[in-house]
Amino acid sequence: MSKEKKMFEKVCEYLGCDLDSEPCQELQEHLHKCPQCEVFIDEIKNTVKLYKKADECEDTPKSVSKKLFATLDLDKPDEDKQEED
Amino acid sequence: MLENEEKIVEKAQNGDNDALATLVNEYHDRIYHLGLSMLKQEQDAEDMLQETFLTLVEKIQQFKGNSSIYTWLYRIATNIALKKLKSKPRKYPHIPIDEPDFKKIHEEETKEEMEFDFEKVNNYKFRKILNDLLDELPPKYKTVFILRDLHDLSTRETAKILDLTESNTKVRLFRARNYLKEKLEQLKSEELMA
Repeated sequence: MSKEKKMFEKVCEYLGCDLDSEPCQELQEHLHKCPQCEVFIDEIKNTVKLYKKADECEDTPKSVSKKLFATLDLDKPDEDKQEED
Repeated sequence: MLENEEKIVEKAQNGDNDALATLVNEYHDRIYHLGLSMLKQEQDAEDMLQETFLTLVEKIQQFKGNSSIYTWLYRIATNIALKKLKSKPRKYPHIPIDEPDFKKIHEEETKEEMEFDFEKVNNYKFRKILNDLLDELPPKYKTVFILRDLHDLSTRETAKILDLTESNTKVRLFRARNYLKEKLEQLKSEELMA
C-alpha cells in the first residue's frame, strides 16, 4: 500500500473518531504540510461544532416531566418538589 | 452518572420505587433530548420518553449490569425512535460510501475555508436548515451522528447501543459528518445561508 493511501486511511479513521483527540504524530506532520487536508478537517470539525451548538436545549418541560412521573406512578424526587413549591 | 448508581439500580430491581424515581429523574432529560434530536416533534419525543421509561420499569429486572444503566436506556430509547422513523417511510438521498477523494483534494489548489458563523444558530430559519439537513440523513447515519457528536457518547457505547462494531460506527460517523459538511458547503455556495 502506498504511503499516500495509508495517510488517507489515517485521515478517515481520525475523522470518525473524537475530533478533539490528538491525531497521531504522522498525521499531524502531514497536516502541517498539507493545507488542503487541514481545511477539510477544520470544516468537518466546525460542522460538528455548529450542530452541537444548534442542539443545545433546555431541560424537559415541567409538564412533560410531571406527566412521565404520573404515568409511571412514581413520586418525583424532592428537589423537583421543592422547585415547584 | 449517579453516585452509587449500581446500588440504586439494585434497589430499583428489588422494587424500591424511590430508587426507580431517582433513575428516572437522573436520565429523563437526556432521553427527551435524544427524542427531540431524532424525531424533531415534541409530541414524538414525549411519546418516546414515556415508552422508554415504561420499558425500564417493566424490564429493569432483566438489566444485567453489563453496561451502564444509561447505555441500556439509550439502547431502549434509540430502538423506539428508530421504529418510529421506520413507521414513517420516506426516500433518503444516496450517501456516498466511498472515502472522500483525497487524491483530488490534494491535487486541488488550496480552497478558501468555509466560514462558520456560530451565532447564526440562534436564528430560527438557520436552525431549521440545519435540522432539515440532519433529517435528510438515513437513520443509520443520523443515529450515530446524534449519539456520538450531539450526545457525546463514546464510540464503544454507540457501537453497543446500535449493535455495531466500533469500526462500523466510525465509518458511519465519518460519512454522516462528511455529508453534512458537503451539504453546508453546497448551501453556502448557493448563498442560501446568507
